[in-house]
Amino acid sequence: MAAYLTHQQKVLRLYKKSLRHLESWCIFRDKYRFYACLLRGRFDENKGEKDMVKATKMLKAGEEEFWANQHPQPYLFPDSPGGTSYERYECYKVPEWCLDHWHPSEKAQYPDYFAKREQWKKLRAQSWEREVQQLQEETPADGPKSEALPPARREGDLPPLWWQYVTRPRERPM
Amino acid sequence: MYMTPMMLSSSLVLTLNILLYPLLTALDPTPKKPQWASTHVKTAVSTAFFISLIPLMMFLDQGTESIMINWHWMNTSTFDINISFKFDHYSLIFTPIALFVSWSILEFASWYMHSDPYMNRFFKYLLLFLVAMIVLVTANNMFQLFIGWEGVGIMSFLLIGWWYGRSDANTAALQAVLYNRVGDIGLILSMAWMATNMNSWEIQQIFFLSKDFNMTLPLLGLILAATGKSAQFGLHPWLPSAMEGPTPVSALLHSSTMVVAGIFLLIRLHPLMENNQLALTTCLCLGALTTLFTATCALTQNDIKKIVAFSTSSQLGLMMVTIGLNQPQLAFLHICTHAFFKAMLFLCSGSIIHSLNDEQDIRKMGGLHKLMPFTSSCLTIGSLALTGTPFLAGFFSKDAIIEALNTSHLNAWALALTLIATSFTAVYSFRVVFFVTMGTPRFLPLSPINENNPAVINPIKRLAWGSIIAGLIITSNFLPLKSPVMTMPFMLKLAALFVSIIGLLSAMELAAMTSKQFKTTPTLPLHNFSNMLGFFPSTIHRLMPKLNLTLGQLMATQLLDQSWLEKSGPKGIASMQIKMSTHASDPQQGMIKTYLTIFLLTSTLAILLMLL
Repeated sequence: MAAYLTHQQKVLRLYKKSLRHLESWCIFRDKYRFYACLLRGRFDENKGEKDMVKATKMLKAGEEEFWANQHPQPYLFPDSPGGTSYERYECYKVPEWCLDHWHPSEKAQYPDYFAKREQWKKLRAQSWEREVQQLQEETPADGPKSEALPPARREGDLPPLWWQYVTRPRERPM
Repeated sequence: MYMTPMMLSSSLVLTLNILLYPLLTALDPTPKKPQWASTHVKTAVSTAFFISLIPLMMFLDQGTESIMINWHWMNTSTFDINISFKFDHYSLIFTPIALFVSWSILEFASWYMHSDPYMNRFFKYLLLFLVAMIVLVTANNMFQLFIGWEGVGIMSFLLIGWWYGRSDANTAALQAVLYNRVGDIGLILSMAWMATNMNSWEIQQIFFLSKDFNMTLPLLGLILAATGKSAQFGLHPWLPSAMEGPTPVSALLHSSTMVVAGIFLLIRLHPLMENNQLALTTCLCLGALTTLFTATCALTQNDIKKIVAFSTSSQLGLMMVTIGLNQPQLAFLHICTHAFFKAMLFLCSGSIIHSLNDEQDIRKMGGLHKLMPFTSSCLTIGSLALTGTPFLAGFFSKDAIIEALNTSHLNAWALALTLIATSFTAVYSFRVVFFVTMGTPRFLPLSPINENNPAVINPIKRLAWGSIIAGLIITSNFLPLKSPVMTMPFMLKLAALFVSIIGLLSAMELAAMTSKQFKTTPTLPLHNFSNMLGFFPSTIHRLMPKLNLTLGQLMATQLLDQSWLEKSGPKGIASMQIKMSTHASDPQQGMIKTYLTIFLLTSTLAILLMLL
């Protein structure tokens, strides 16, 4: 992804957030639907604008209008950042290396899992060097541009940092 | 003849021991069964409740109160600290009520926290909180009260930050601790004053000696303590933030029991305050300001738990007003009735939240009247009790308070604020009921909502019974210690009911407007003021740390090096000298010839005058 947003992305982001704030203001769905249609109409009548200067000025005016009319406590979904149950279960997410510290009697309760786990750990040790090499090759000189990890490029290679992904905790721990 | 005090004391000691037993067994390292929470803790609390009814009946029948000194803990030749419990009118009534409410909440929590892996620890924390609260309520000396005070503060911190992976929860827990700490400064000030001036921390001795002293300073300290613990204006933001904790925590701590600890302190030490007009006026005005401010904030909130939290804060302000009116027993009555319906409001909202998959915003609830009829009717009953509907629980305490306020010859401004806050109570209660229960659903089609589980229904049912009849039972069995004003003008008598009805009617009108076609955003700037909580947290939470950090930076960098080594020594002296010399040398401009000429002229003039 490039470092800047396109005009289309900016307009669409403005539209979505103004719809969300409109939803926070108009509590009942029928009223919200009415005003949402009006807002869509306002966006649609200018969507064919070819002059970029004028379009950017309209976008700026739209952002100002959004800022003036935004809701001080917009509705956030509970699991989204800032919501009421966001990160609520982080404290129950135990990292997978704790499994190594289990007592042998506890490990004996799950023999097939721990047998396979040894094989996976051997595989991880084998592929680690190649993962690091791939990441070092692909990262640009002044640091990575985003958190997205690249896929495996070569035949017979595993994707870099696959172990962290495979052993990540569940979204909602038990 | 002597059976009664012995039975009283033994049943109260038994109550405390029953509550302590699960905590002591929890020290055992063998892990507990998952049902330990329900089987051991909940039955302990319910058994303790039934046993604590025995002393209550004895108090009703014969008026026995008792003070038990259990252990001479730290005794010097001049100062005694004992473990002593005082079971008087206040603690004998409060203990069964607190145990009843806790029993219901624990039963509810066994459903609400069912999927939590550390449910046993949760119940242990709640039980430890309950023990600390009872220690606070039954304390006969300031030291034991302080132990209970700090205990409930710490348990509040641990329970608010129960989901410690969430940064907001950690912030809220820290906020609670810091605001309570500011209040603790007041309490420690009062304790120190009492220790140095009255040489004792026993309540009886303090009451006896208080006539000889000017008690203004310790009373202001106690009011500061109550401001911190009971979320009065100035130290109030921690209470809405405390809603980050699970709903049983909000129901137990931040509505019924912990937040009333500050008011309870003032009630317990009320004889000190009776004659001190400054303290009474401070309580009155602070309480009136709190109740109006927090009721205003509650009007536009959208999170159901925050609305109930602000309503708690508003009722605490009302209790503070009552103390300012010199009516501690009315404040105590309001504490008792408030515990029932506020806990029930929280349990109903918890049931709704859990059924809607953790949805807390009232903008996405609706139509629950048909889907959860029992819960929504109990929500309505709780809201009606809160607004002071005649003959429900809240009426007996709230109406009595407003009558006392109307007929007292005190601050009319406080009266006006309290009446406005009472109408706001009706407004936001109606708002909650309107958005949550009426209309059509605005949430996603989810797993079917049901009310099958008796672990949810029975606690709410018990608390609903309490909300309806508790006011009647308490007022008919316990005579008021001060006779209320018996006659007053008709309008004053009906003032509370009148303003509540006005509030309700205007709320219904405004609610009907929400679905009509008006402008989407509000036209008045007041909405922002109310929604952003009066901008109090936004300013104070940034201003205070900035001031303190700037002060710290100045002290660290400039205090020693710049001030003491430079400015008070060489550079300071140098700058003073330079100033003085510039002032002195400015007039001198080096015009020698002019000076000589003037000198000659004036000396010639002087000689001529002398010769003449």
